[in-house]
Amino acid sequence: MPESSPRVHVEGWDPSYGSPVAPDEGLAPSESEVDTTVETAAWAPIPGEDDGIDEVWFVDGIRRVDARLTIDDGEGMPISGICGSHAVGAVRWDRVGRSSSVEHARIDRLAVSGGGHAIEIVAPPMTYRAASVAGIDPAELVTLFHGSMRTAEARLTAGLADSGAFVIADGPVNDTRPRDVVGYIKTHRVAYLTGPEAGTIRALTPGTRTPLFLLGASGSFARYSWYQRLAVGPEGHGWYGIVRAEVAAAVGLEQARLLADRSAVLLPGVAAPAHTDARAPQNLVPIGALERALRRELGDQALVLRSLRSASVALGAVA
Amino acid sequence: MTDRVGRVLGTQRSSTREFQVLIDDDAYLQLDDLVVVPIEVPGFGEVDTYGIVTEAEAEYEGASFATDTRRIAEEGTLPAETVRTAEVAITRVDPEVWVSPNPGVSVSRATGDARDKALYADDMRRPLPVGVGRDGEPVFVDLDFFDGRKGGHMSISGISGVATKTSFALFFLRLLTGRPEIVGEGANNLRVLVFNVKGEDLLWLDKPNALFDESDRAVWDALGVEPGPFPSVGFWAPARQGGGGVVTPDASGRMTDINPFRWTPREFVDEGLLRFLFTDASDTRNQLSFVEERVRSQLRRWAADIAGEPGAVVLRQPGPGGHREAVSNVAADELIIRDFSDLVSVLERLLDPGDGSDPDLAWTGRVQSGTVAAFVRRLYAAQTRLGHLIAAGESIRIDRQRAQVSVVAIQNLHDLAQRFVVGALLQEVFDEKEESGQRLPLSVVVLDELNKYAPREGSSPLKEMLIDIAQRGRSLGVLLVGAQQSASRVAQEVMENAAIRVAGRLDAAEAERSEYGWMLPSTRARARLLKPGTMVVSQPAIPVPLVVNFPFPPWATRAEEVDHTDDPDPFDVV
Repeated sequence: MPESSPRVHVEGWDPSYGSPVAPDEGLAPSESEVDTTVETAAWAPIPGEDDGIDEVWFVDGIRRVDARLTIDDGEGMPISGICGSHAVGAVRWDRVGRSSSVEHARIDRLAVSGGGHAIEIVAPPMTYRAASVAGIDPAELVTLFHGSMRTAEARLTAGLADSGAFVIADGPVNDTRPRDVVGYIKTHRVAYLTGPEAGTIRALTPGTRTPLFLLGASGSFARYSWYQRLAVGPEGHGWYGIVRAEVAAAVGLEQARLLADRSAVLLPGVAAPAHTDARAPQNLVPIGALERALRRELGDQALVLRSLRSASVALGAVA
Repeated sequence: MTDRVGRVLGTQRSSTREFQVLIDDDAYLQLDDLVVVPIEVPGFGEVDTYGIVTEAEAEYEGASFATDTRRIAEEGTLPAETVRTAEVAITRVDPEVWVSPNPGVSVSRATGDARDKALYADDMRRPLPVGVGRDGEPVFVDLDFFDGRKGGHMSISGISGVATKTSFALFFLRLLTGRPEIVGEGANNLRVLVFNVKGEDLLWLDKPNALFDESDRAVWDALGVEPGPFPSVGFWAPARQGGGGVVTPDASGRMTDINPFRWTPREFVDEGLLRFLFTDASDTRNQLSFVEERVRSQLRRWAADIAGEPGAVVLRQPGPGGHREAVSNVAADELIIRDFSDLVSVLERLLDPGDGSDPDLAWTGRVQSGTVAAFVRRLYAAQTRLGHLIAAGESIRIDRQRAQVSVVAIQNLHDLAQRFVVGALLQEVFDEKEESGQRLPLSVVVLDELNKYAPREGSSPLKEMLIDIAQRGRSLGVLLVGAQQSASRVAQEVMENAAIRVAGRLDAAEAERSEYGWMLPSTRARARLLKPGTMVVSQPAIPVPLVVNFPFPPWATRAEEVDHTDDPDPFDVV
């Protein structure tokens, strides 16, 4: 659908969240192998299919840096650390009973210290367990903290899937085992499709999906992926409301198709209407609610910081 | 003693006036429910806070947009929790340490002793039930605030028809007369004067109500009164116009056991009833009242009894000692007053001779001739409306001692005549008590349409009288139970002196007026929706108004309701 001159669209997301289409290098072509022929070679939107599954689970986590620490060992330069809290939980959508509930919410608090230090910080009723990175780069601290959350998310997702649940997890799939887990990716940083296949994305309507394509087939972490459209925006650009989803290739092609068909139909139904979410429509309603519920569980940020300050005084540390 | 219903809400501030309750999933709170919150006050100890539910609310916690409701309830895609809360107005803190309830503290339903405490029933020396709460248990007023010890009078407001003002007044009277053990010494010889100003609602108080259901009995039992008609009622109606030689009562519906009443010219003169002919609020603006005052006192001086003609008077210039004896030598041209028309023509001859001669200044004073003419015109107007209430002959007066409750049926009289009768009777009651100077026995007066007798604007002898009763009646044991459609149209002095205030359904605009400042904002809003049989009651002993229900009356309120099953069969000749 070439156009004579480019049209400008104002993105629906709150600018502080970035853009759903945020190419690192002009939507850089994927470096991993992409096989677009696994399902079909004839690329056109495929209608999804609701197989009437009773329950859908959504898993997500949030994190917050509660305080930054400075560890002074009396020698050399002071070293950085952070106190962070993350919460992970799930929303169980009971399609038969037509109700949703937040389940399995769990908070973890970490005191991550650089330079190999490991200091537990107790600020009743909270305890920040000690975690350590060898280096002194503050970015490393956050990476470890973020990783801790991703691990908790993965553990909850795996646990739910193992008990027979169909799970939609926020973010890419990090699990190679054959589980009914759909990774749900809101932002597009890499162009997995090029040429005519990419054009199929523009032709998607809510309820349809692209054919499956296989990513990283030769690597240890192969997965099937597809694009689908959540909603049609008023005067939306060609990529408005597009999300990418993936499942571990280990589930097999047939199961991957079933999960993709199911998601193609179910996800538009829970897409956030434009005015209700800063990242509409990509931020799904259950996930938005889950994030709000989890954020509440973390406690008031100012109060948390205040108790950390009193705790650090008791420790003799300087916050 | 108590059962838990929730916790004090922590997202809104609690105060010493009100707080909110987060209601437990397995409990409920409705309007008017009573709750108790025990609070541990550091440095003092335990304090119990009592309150009454003034509003109940519910919402989805987690919904931020209107359409979220659909996502939660219909599609089920948005997790949310139903939150039910109740707003509580604090009625009491015991012991009196005025602290606000802490958030998160358990809230329990107040029952038994706790309920009594919430309603100050434990604090009342003489708690008289005035209805039942939503829990079916009696709600009390402290009689000390009705019978004059600490306060007096009751004022009942509400829209005609649905507010059931008269029904409540009678219900109150039934309890007042039916629970002598609570009323105490005031119950002895307690007398009630009730005016039936419209309809015939009050003419059947002594008859059982055929529509009374046994299911209503339970409420009466809870109130401690055997449901039945009033045991001791006397019915009085003004003498019928043109009755000939026989004086019969003019009471339309009721034919039996009703007695007529009227005044003789002698009584009219002695009691100064002339002033109750000038009760229009505009009468005091012109000089009519000045003429009236002079004529009234002249009549008193000049009137002499006539031997052999009881009740009639002849006007003669009195000697220095006044008239001491009845006169027997009445001349043909003397001014004899045997009925009201005589009075009018006699006064006309004195005030406005019409033959060109000057009026007697002793009777008119120095007022404009126009004023005198207006005065005479008023008399003529009164003659057609209430002339038949004044006639010579034996005295036929209302005997309030004959029964505990005396009902005076004035619904058939013209407004002017109604005001005359009310004024004359109120004065009689008040004078009697003023003479004795004793508070006991108590005299209760029930008067509907108070705005007609004591309007806010203008002044009249009747209004002055009612204000006097409102202000001094308390100490004299004359207690007014006044009813009106809008409190804002009744003399302020009368309203302000009513210690017990009651309202049925109110007009929306009326409910916003300052006269109803004793209501909570939530009560005002509800007052527009109150059903017949539900009233809001405020009394000085309790800082919040209470909503009470009162039961269906066991006495008839219409001729058709009269239960005839126990009547003797007229064909059953013994």
